[in-house]
Amino acid sequence: MKNINVLSTLLALSIFTNFVFLSEVNIYTSRHYDSDVMLYESFTELTGIKVNIISSKSQALIERLRSEGSNSPADIFITVDAGNLWKAQNYGLFRRINSKKINEIVPKNLRGENNEWIALAKRSRVIFYNKDIYSKADLQGLSYKDLSSPKWKNKIAIRSSNNLYNQSLVASMIAKYGESYTENWAKGLVENFARKPQGNDRAQIIAVANNEADLAIANSYYLGLMLSGKKGEKQLNAGKKVSILFPSQNEEGAHINISGAGIIKSSKNYDNAIKFLEFMLSEQAQKHLVENTYEYPINKNVEPSALISQFGLNFKENISKVSEFGKFNSAALKLMDRVGWQ
Amino acid sequence: MALLNQLLKNMFRFAPLIFLIILITPLVLVLLSLFGEYNDNWNHLYNYVLPNYVVNSILLILGVSVLSTILGVGTAWLMTNFDFANKSWLEWAVILPLAVPPYILAYTFTGLFDSYGSANELVKTLFTLDENYAFFPNVRNIFGAIIVFAFTLYPYIYLTTRMAFINQSRSLIEAGKLLGFNNWALFFRLAVPLVRPALIAGLALVIMETLSDFGAVEHFAVQTFTTGIFRTWFGMYDLNTAMQLSSILMIFIVFFILIERYERNRMSFTYAGSTFKKTSKKKLRGFKSLCAFVFCFSPLFIGFILPIIELTNWAIFYPSEYFFSMNILNSLFNTATMGLIAGIICTIFALFINFLNRFGGGNFLKLSSQFLSLGYALPGLVLAVGIIQFFSLIDNNFSKYFLGFSLVGSLLGLLLAYIIKAYALANNTIESGFQRISNSIDDVSLSLNGSKLKIFYKVHMPLMKTSIFTSLLLVISEVIKELPATLILRPFNFDTLAVTTYIYAAEERMYEAASPAIMIVLTGLIPIIFLSQLIRDSRPGKS
Repeated sequence: MKNINVLSTLLALSIFTNFVFLSEVNIYTSRHYDSDVMLYESFTELTGIKVNIISSKSQALIERLRSEGSNSPADIFITVDAGNLWKAQNYGLFRRINSKKINEIVPKNLRGENNEWIALAKRSRVIFYNKDIYSKADLQGLSYKDLSSPKWKNKIAIRSSNNLYNQSLVASMIAKYGESYTENWAKGLVENFARKPQGNDRAQIIAVANNEADLAIANSYYLGLMLSGKKGEKQLNAGKKVSILFPSQNEEGAHINISGAGIIKSSKNYDNAIKFLEFMLSEQAQKHLVENTYEYPINKNVEPSALISQFGLNFKENISKVSEFGKFNSAALKLMDRVGWQ
Repeated sequence: MALLNQLLKNMFRFAPLIFLIILITPLVLVLLSLFGEYNDNWNHLYNYVLPNYVVNSILLILGVSVLSTILGVGTAWLMTNFDFANKSWLEWAVILPLAVPPYILAYTFTGLFDSYGSANELVKTLFTLDENYAFFPNVRNIFGAIIVFAFTLYPYIYLTTRMAFINQSRSLIEAGKLLGFNNWALFFRLAVPLVRPALIAGLALVIMETLSDFGAVEHFAVQTFTTGIFRTWFGMYDLNTAMQLSSILMIFIVFFILIERYERNRMSFTYAGSTFKKTSKKKLRGFKSLCAFVFCFSPLFIGFILPIIELTNWAIFYPSEYFFSMNILNSLFNTATMGLIAGIICTIFALFINFLNRFGGGNFLKLSSQFLSLGYALPGLVLAVGIIQFFSLIDNNFSKYFLGFSLVGSLLGLLLAYIIKAYALANNTIESGFQRISNSIDDVSLSLNGSKLKIFYKVHMPLMKTSIFTSLLLVISEVIKELPATLILRPFNFDTLAVTTYIYAAEERMYEAASPAIMIVLTGLIPIIFLSQLIRDSRPGKS
């Protein structure tokens, strides 16, 4: 019986302590890097503000935020892919971010149209090729559009259309070239698949390293991760065999997407949230971020990790608004269904 | 005093009803979407992908049903009627795959059988084959999915049909032999029909779990209803259409449940007649013994031993400091606690409902209890949304005034999800348990001046000990494995083992996933080991 008393007291206490007032900031994040935890701890050390995290798939978090409504304890929503940010914005989840400091660091095309959200880091969706088969000169000037040419039949590895990164890529094509052109392009691309879409981005890169495909389309930072050795020897060896080509350098530039964050409308810790976002854009935090995730920094004073810089730094970036990705996401998905991109 | 008695009596009648209503509401909220608006995403779905989902789902069901029936019934029959090499430990070991959730088997399968997976590497080194040669076929397709589900879920069928085989009277078998049946005829024409209710009960569980899975089919890139629902929801930002799709999935399931009920009603009897005789076991020797052993060992190997080997393989590659990290121990504690609480609540609840049903509790009780069993088949994510919407309703109208904290995002939501999801397991087990108690016992006890309540405590409960324990264990192991609902509903800083595994595996960070995955299997083993004790102790003639 005594145990039950102890247990129930503990239970009551734990419920109670949730309501004790602490300076804190509550974050819903779809980023799940262990290295982020260190960032949060640095923030707490610096400011004394406690950071509470719940991490999950982005879509799940958005759905939860919607359902929670004004009862939500969340202050900040961090996610990857501008499509997700746009979606959250569209549901009216965000509150305008008013900070001169932030506006100075983040360029306008990497923010919500009314500062509903901001970028924290950048990545590019690039083409990976096997160094033993192609040289950089061979693929010079290759654009996304070229990928649908019959020349690449059975040679392209890319993941499922279920994946948001692909949807954003197609969405950006629709934004630039219109739906009809993009549908033809996608049809050609699907005919060039080396295999039925399976696995994640890294699986596509590994397919190229193993000669199962000639070109893979995947996010830039994965090569950094593979080469870091943190993911094991197999991935390290595969990474050594491939290199990155930044597409469309003679045209609109390589497709850019972001990790970003916004402040929740019903947030009860707005000032703490602003402090947190400013911290994430500071040189210290940006350096830590990119050294661990191999993304490209937003803060211009910070250099990306050497492991990823070696493949090229001053490549032409597509500077169209990333907010477009969300707008055309639904159309992109339906288009991908129509052309049979599984 | 009399008034108090009256109040208590009525409480017993109403409390379960109220619980049922609370549990059903999220499901109802999902179904209500069928009566709402249909937007033009529906047209798109209908024309381009819905046929695919239906076809794949049907193929999956057919394939998994056939394979798991062969495995489950085959092993159960062999174990009950024959003695062969190593049978004594095989008899209980064969349920171990229950500890491995389908998504974990899926992750290990790809780790093994992908073209550069460990199994292929092994074959290559052993036989010094060409670099690019892949011995094992690709598993990332519907066949891989069928195998994964069949080999992790067949124990459900093994458990239910084994009980039924054990309780078969020997005199029935002898009568069959007298009529000239050989072994095969005995099996197909006598034994199988007799255990049909048990088979269908087990099969229903298998099919429901297959249809509601998301992790494994996503990993194998098989387009089914669940992946379709997720895609519609998250890709087209259309929760409404997704809920409508889920409702269709639920109706699919209702169809199976109705078939199961029909079968059970057709054969409504309590087991073990008065001329019950223990079935004698035939001793198998030599080649036949080997065949029996291989047949029973293979599912154990594929569904349990193989994934363990691969998981251990990964764990070795990763620095051991992470194996017992604080994060993982936390997850372990959270998982165990939630499992226990959910198990107790589900079992108590199932006991009440089935007890009331036994004495004619009325149609509403029966219907809603069966309706609640649907929760098992609902994709966890959709269940979570139903719960959030339900709680939001309460929060917006009541919590502010009465509770002082919001229900959404609290542990209550997660607990509710577990209860709804696992209720079917508890219900099926307790229901079968009650069915095995002959109605004449009730009549005798009542005539001896027992009240219904007394019968419950003094007669039913002791007889139900096994079923109660089984129900508890099954719910706990279900909670350990649950993934999608936990991902959404969990409070701040609260991870379970399943969540931790998924987060790593979804990024194909397999080495890091090994540790929590192994924990899931190990923790899942504890209830399984108890279950196996029950199997060891259950001998013909005992109920």
